[in-house]
Amino acid sequence: MNMAKPILLAEDNPRDAELALAAMEEERISDKVILCHDGAEVLDYLYCRGRFKSRLKGNPAVVFLDLKMPKVNGLEVLRTIKADSNLRPIPVVMLTSSREERDLAESYALGANAYVVKPVEFHKFLSAVKELGTFWGLINEPPPESSRSTH
Amino acid sequence: MESATNQQSQTPLLATEGTKPLADVAPGATAFYRVAVAWFNRMTIEQRVLTGFSLVFVGILIISAISYRNMSTLLTNSGLDGRSHDLLQLLGTIDVTMNEAEDTHRRYLVTGETSYLEAYQKLVKQKPAFTVYLNDLTRGSPEQQQRVGVLDRMMDRQLNAESKAIGLFQQEGFRSVKKMALEGAGRRELGVIHQLIAEMDAHERQAVSQRVLESAAGTRNSIVLLGIGAVLQLVLLASVYYLIRHDITERRHVAEELQHRGELLEAANKELEAFSYSVSHDLRAPLRHIDGYAALLRKSVEQSLNEKAARYLQTISDAAKQMGQLIDDLLVFSRMGRQEMLATTVNLDQLVKSILADLRLDLQGRRISWTIAALPDVQGDPAMLRQVFMNLIANAVKFTSTRPTATIEIGAEHSTSSEIVLFVRDNGVGFDMQYASKLFGVFQRLHRADEFEGTGIGLANVRRIVHRHGGRTWAEGVPDRGATFYVALPTRRTES
Repeated sequence: MNMAKPILLAEDNPRDAELALAAMEEERISDKVILCHDGAEVLDYLYCRGRFKSRLKGNPAVVFLDLKMPKVNGLEVLRTIKADSNLRPIPVVMLTSSREERDLAESYALGANAYVVKPVEFHKFLSAVKELGTFWGLINEPPPESSRSTH
Repeated sequence: MESATNQQSQTPLLATEGTKPLADVAPGATAFYRVAVAWFNRMTIEQRVLTGFSLVFVGILIISAISYRNMSTLLTNSGLDGRSHDLLQLLGTIDVTMNEAEDTHRRYLVTGETSYLEAYQKLVKQKPAFTVYLNDLTRGSPEQQQRVGVLDRMMDRQLNAESKAIGLFQQEGFRSVKKMALEGAGRRELGVIHQLIAEMDAHERQAVSQRVLESAAGTRNSIVLLGIGAVLQLVLLASVYYLIRHDITERRHVAEELQHRGELLEAANKELEAFSYSVSHDLRAPLRHIDGYAALLRKSVEQSLNEKAARYLQTISDAAKQMGQLIDDLLVFSRMGRQEMLATTVNLDQLVKSILADLRLDLQGRRISWTIAALPDVQGDPAMLRQVFMNLIANAVKFTSTRPTATIEIGAEHSTSSEIVLFVRDNGVGFDMQYASKLFGVFQRLHRADEFEGTGIGLANVRRIVHRHGGRTWAEGVPDRGATFYVALPTRRTES
């Protein structure tokens, strides 16, 4: 079981974040969600630095990544994660508004585990986030914590 | 712009070439000159160039002909000079010989010494040859020939007189010829002969000097003409060089211009792509928020929500959803115009079959009588053509939803060797033909939103795709009786 493992949500838009959290709340997994407001914070969390310096060690169960974010965008975060042998096993789900073919192609080329387009209709968005949270946060068995070198 | 001034600056070069000689003909030729200029102004660039070249060519031809004539005159004259020289020599010889014969025969008459007769006897033998030479050398000049006739007669008479005197001397002795021996038997004839020879000599010398003058004039003429010819040829060469260079410059300009435009187009396309990307990404987010917060609001006040308030919230959600759909459709439409096209053979039978399979959820609970003819293969992009028939068939299904039994027919008709015409016909609500031109416009709808759903982009997509295939679209309809949508695709693929 991975009950202890957090879900990392990278979302720069506070409204989208609130809506996503509202959806997760219905599934009672919102307390597992750690919210990052840009790509740099995601990397801070993963590498235990900045405001996450003193967090408990260990990788999240999943990273939900928005594409368009300030400072470091989603694709850059994805590239960093998949280039680091310690971070590479973390499932990364792209959660974005973009339906553009080149975003899809590039995400998968960089090693994204899933690509979800945020639906405009709230009930669809709701069910999408719920399903994603349930699947990646509860159902899916994450990779075992390897002998991870400390930072 | 630069190329245009170049073209104009080259034509006067050829124009003066062509028209100047005309203007110089005579002061009275100004009218003709004016006509020629008017004619020249009416000509195209190619005609002007051709006319210029033709005139220069004709000039060179005329010069060559005149030079050739001058040269042959020079050659003839030098031949004639040789003859004149021979004639003068011959006349001198005759003069001397006749003189000698008269002299020596007198000495014979006085002395009776036969050795003095040698010169006379030699002359008698030579005389026929002299006549032949004289006639030969004066052929072509009647004046000289006439003199030759007289000369010939005089020579005969002198020789006759001398032979008579010699005969008399031999028969009757010195006394009988004493007078002749002192005076000379042919003295009178000899005088005439001297005079004739002098005349002929003068005449021939005059002819020679005249020919010398003529040859000199001809030579000068030829030199001048050859100079002009050389200049004309230089002009011709320069013009050819200029035209070729001009052509090359022109081509380079056009190539540069094309490249520049290509770059501009590419930049515009990139910008458009960035624009639609940002539309797709940034416009959706607020719509999602409107719908999301409306839903959250509904949830948090559910108990106290009255019917009116519930409807308002529903309308907010519906409007947001509709705008999301519009944005999606517009992006698809924009992508249709930019997307690279594949070129393969598309099996329409299979295409239609797969579309019907995809539509089966929408067809649940409907009674539709399908008539699908065997369809030909067409050339084009499979995904795009699928979009075309998907839109047309979905439209037919949508607009027959009010019929208890819908009839939808898909087939091909009136196809020619250059075009395949396909149609989708239904017995739905149809349309008024006066709005037929609006049917294929972006966001054009002929029905109210509450009658039939849709954003009005489907047929615009159909038209855009068919146009990119080089084909045509049109529709026929009768209100409440149904509609037929036609798609004509070229049999040979044309890139657009």
